[in-house]
Amino acid sequence: MRRGTLEYCVLALLDEDERYGFDLVKGLAEVDGMVTSEGTIYPLLGRLRRDGLVESTWRESTSGPPRRYYRLTESGRTALAAFVREWSRFRDAVDHFLEGKAP
Amino acid sequence: MSTAADHLIDEYLERLNDELADLPRARRRELVREISEHIEAARADLPAQDEREIRELLERLGDPMDIAVEAHAGAEPATRPRVGAWEVAAIILLLVGGIFLPFVGWLVGVFLLWASSAWTSWEKLVGTLVVPGGLLGPVLLLVLGVSVESCTRVIDVTTGAVSSQSCTGGTSAAVQALWIAAFAALVIAPIASAVFLARRASRRAAAA
Repeated sequence: MRRGTLEYCVLALLDEDERYGFDLVKGLAEVDGMVTSEGTIYPLLGRLRRDGLVESTWRESTSGPPRRYYRLTESGRTALAAFVREWSRFRDAVDHFLEGKAP
Repeated sequence: MSTAADHLIDEYLERLNDELADLPRARRRELVREISEHIEAARADLPAQDEREIRELLERLGDPMDIAVEAHAGAEPATRPRVGAWEVAAIILLLVGGIFLPFVGWLVGVFLLWASSAWTSWEKLVGTLVVPGGLLGPVLLLVLGVSVESCTRVIDVTTGAVSSQSCTGGTSAAVQALWIAAFAALVIAPIASAVFLARRASRRAAAA
């Protein structure tokens, strides 16, 4: 479950602003419970790129080697919107059944 | 800068490179480079950059095997690492195939091993070299064996006393000890190798 949703969390982060790899990983790691292995974000980004959901550009950086900045493509935006709808329904349904259960 | 920390990082990147060995070269190089840059960027943020902090950094990064599994995700099911009949057959044939179909059985096991996507090249190398022929080795050793000591006694019929005894054959204690040690090693090594292959494959399949 976590693997499929992690990709959409990445898309959601990119929806706000274009970001480079390390920055994205930090953003994801800030929220507890999402990322178990930070390194797996990089192959995930590669996959999103190959699937056409994100695109990247290289930008020079003052503090080191050039960085690869990622941003959403149109397909990425569409996919994210569809997921947001699906997720709301799914979350409400699961919450309904879990209501009242102690953690 | 601590060289112990550098050593840890180099070791990690080497393992990562090994785990990604069956990816297209360009993709593998790109991933290793990205993660290497991540390590450098994360390291710059660390207050002390000592060995303990680098270890934590690498732990947060995750096991190279998990990264490799993620790199293969979305691939055709046939190429995804799994433990199926193929892998089980490979392990069994590597272990005992050589006994039932002398050597050929083991060779088939080697073929299955290398054709499977459940193991990295290095793991396949271990499975092949430890030990060629599998358990055929110790079986052969049993067959060739140590020669048996045989003795003949001359017994005086009237008195019942043993008048002379001569023995031939047998092996010295030193050779016997060597034989036992070799036999033990040739039994343990292939079994350890089979267990190693089984565990690596199931861990990789579980992470996939």
